[in-house]
Amino acid sequence: MPPESPIIQTFGLTKQFKHVRAVDSLDLAVRPGELFGLIGPDGAGKTTTLRLLAGLLDISDGSATVAGFDLKSRSESIKPLIGYMAQEFSLYGELTVLENLRFFSELYDVSRSERRERTDRLLEFAGLTEFTDRRGKLLSGGMKKKLALACTLIHRPQILLLDEPTTGVDPISRRGFWDILTELHLEGTTILVSTPYMDEADRCTRVGLMFGGQLFACDTPLAIRAGISGDLVALKAADWRRAKSILQDLEGVLEIQLYGDALHVRIDSARKRLPRIKRELRRNGVDYRSLRPAPVRMEEAFLSLMGQREQKS
Amino acid sequence: MAFRHLMAVARKELAHILRDGWTLSLVLFTPLLVLILMAYALSADIQHVPIAVLDRDRSPASRTFVAQITAGDDLELYATVEDLGAVEDLFTRGEIKGALIIAPTFAADVASLKGMPIQIIIDGTEPETGGFAVEQIGRRAAEFANAAIVNQLAGAAGESLQTIDLRVRAWYNPSLEPRVDLIPGLISLVLAFPALSAALTLAREREHGTLEQLLATPIGRGDLLLGKIVPYIIVGLINVILITAVARVWFRVPFNGNFALYFGLSALFMFAALSMGVLVGMFMRTQAAALALSFLLLFFPAFFLTGIFFPIVAMPEIARLEAMGLPGTHYAIITRGVFLPGVGIEVLWPYAVMLIFLGVVFTALAALFFRKKIG
Repeated sequence: MPPESPIIQTFGLTKQFKHVRAVDSLDLAVRPGELFGLIGPDGAGKTTTLRLLAGLLDISDGSATVAGFDLKSRSESIKPLIGYMAQEFSLYGELTVLENLRFFSELYDVSRSERRERTDRLLEFAGLTEFTDRRGKLLSGGMKKKLALACTLIHRPQILLLDEPTTGVDPISRRGFWDILTELHLEGTTILVSTPYMDEADRCTRVGLMFGGQLFACDTPLAIRAGISGDLVALKAADWRRAKSILQDLEGVLEIQLYGDALHVRIDSARKRLPRIKRELRRNGVDYRSLRPAPVRMEEAFLSLMGQREQKS
Repeated sequence: MAFRHLMAVARKELAHILRDGWTLSLVLFTPLLVLILMAYALSADIQHVPIAVLDRDRSPASRTFVAQITAGDDLELYATVEDLGAVEDLFTRGEIKGALIIAPTFAADVASLKGMPIQIIIDGTEPETGGFAVEQIGRRAAEFANAAIVNQLAGAAGESLQTIDLRVRAWYNPSLEPRVDLIPGLISLVLAFPALSAALTLAREREHGTLEQLLATPIGRGDLLLGKIVPYIIVGLINVILITAVARVWFRVPFNGNFALYFGLSALFMFAALSMGVLVGMFMRTQAAALALSFLLLFFPAFFLTGIFFPIVAMPEIARLEAMGLPGTHYAIITRGVFLPGVGIEVLWPYAVMLIFLGVVFTALAALFFRKKIG
């Protein structure tokens, strides 16, 4: 089965600001119905990419199409089809929850009867039913994000462009927010979401890892984590500083990170190296409680892939 | 153009004006406050100007002269000094604004009608006050001299004589109170405040980040800009009613024209001034910058060019052309015409046409330059 043609596609998309190249020759393809995550640290170029795709910035070089429309010439045709949610709270603080929803429904030409029906559903969806008359500026951080999402959804867009929707949101609200996104994904909406949180990548169907305005890896979360070279083992030792200094110099040890009370040690091959590691620890009198293979996290995969890319270049 | 989009923006903007105390007071009370302050500041007479007297004559005549000069509220005898050094000292310390020096021959010269040997020194750094002091001393000196002449003549003729009594009568403003003439001009100036708030509204959306969300919607540029202007036209017209009432009741400025006409022409002015405000504010990233620039463009020229304080005919050609491009110029003429002489549309139509023209041009320019981009 040939893959469906992309609903969002960019070719060498570049955005040059006065002093920085925020997006640098980006090639991205998102297929209809995907829940695609743009993952990367602050300053990676995620926000600029989303703003470009929402038609809010001029393209410096390259090209992009959204829903078949060329961004350079038809950016206004895209607007009724997308729902864009900015990173910062960008609704009207002086308007109430209901008034904000009404305002955006009018700008998107949602009929009155449709609005009534959707408003109730969205408010329930976002857990804002009790707060309909509260002014935007008086909502908590999580509620603001949910209201912004509700306003973005009022016209049932085919494509959602969400810029760090969970930044500054407490963990429980974050989880709730992702439940909503998953639900929308199951309904068939194409979602392009950016996040600096690596753990959120696992809830996407595909992720693109961004750094320095470029996409350096793009695959399913599973494949990305599998792509990491070597094996990961977790070591719990009473004297972890000492354990770390011993392991650091051993052959085959690629990287050591501290997670809570465990050291995550990446080695080129667990089968080959583990006996030697155990021997060295015992010989130096380091008392360890456990030493077992650990699952690779997205964060480790990100750092490892980024390191590989830097070595190449 | 989609009327529904325009109205959505207008309703949102109106809600913002009404709910945000700062904006509400800026658009509703600032014009009134500035009008009252300026009306009093501009029409307040100069009073109690401190002067020093150096009387080298020390005669009964010179003492009477000094007493007459400082009899009113306008000049105040701050000090009687013995030499010029003391005068200079008082000037440099800023304690006096003028000095009167009476020559030793004063009494003799006046009695023999040879002249009046006095000297007036003023602080040139405050020409307004200094000139006023010269004028007042000169007037009293002339009266004093006049009386001396009359006394001499009367003594010779053996009967009493009247001095000349000159009375000036000003039409339309019979009591020549400065306020009555100034207030209509001031009104046209202070009603530019709503335009100032319109200049701020786009910058405010930019600052609050709401512009980003707004520009991501399919709203048309014209709808967005007009939607922002309409609520301020409404607020501006409320201001027109409020301010006309205050001028009429508080300052007792006669309103001899047709109020309905004035209201209609005010709406045209609001349209022109607000589109200018939006145009100016569009290019500014922050509210502070928008405020500074629109103040520069909306108020600063208005002070000089609207003919309120300086007559336009006395201006160089280039400044006059610029004045024609400012809605305030035409509105000042309309306001003054409607208030005192009470003229109608048969006189004011060219200014109405100009206001419509400017409004359309500014709106078109704004729509042309406005791009739905955030960069």
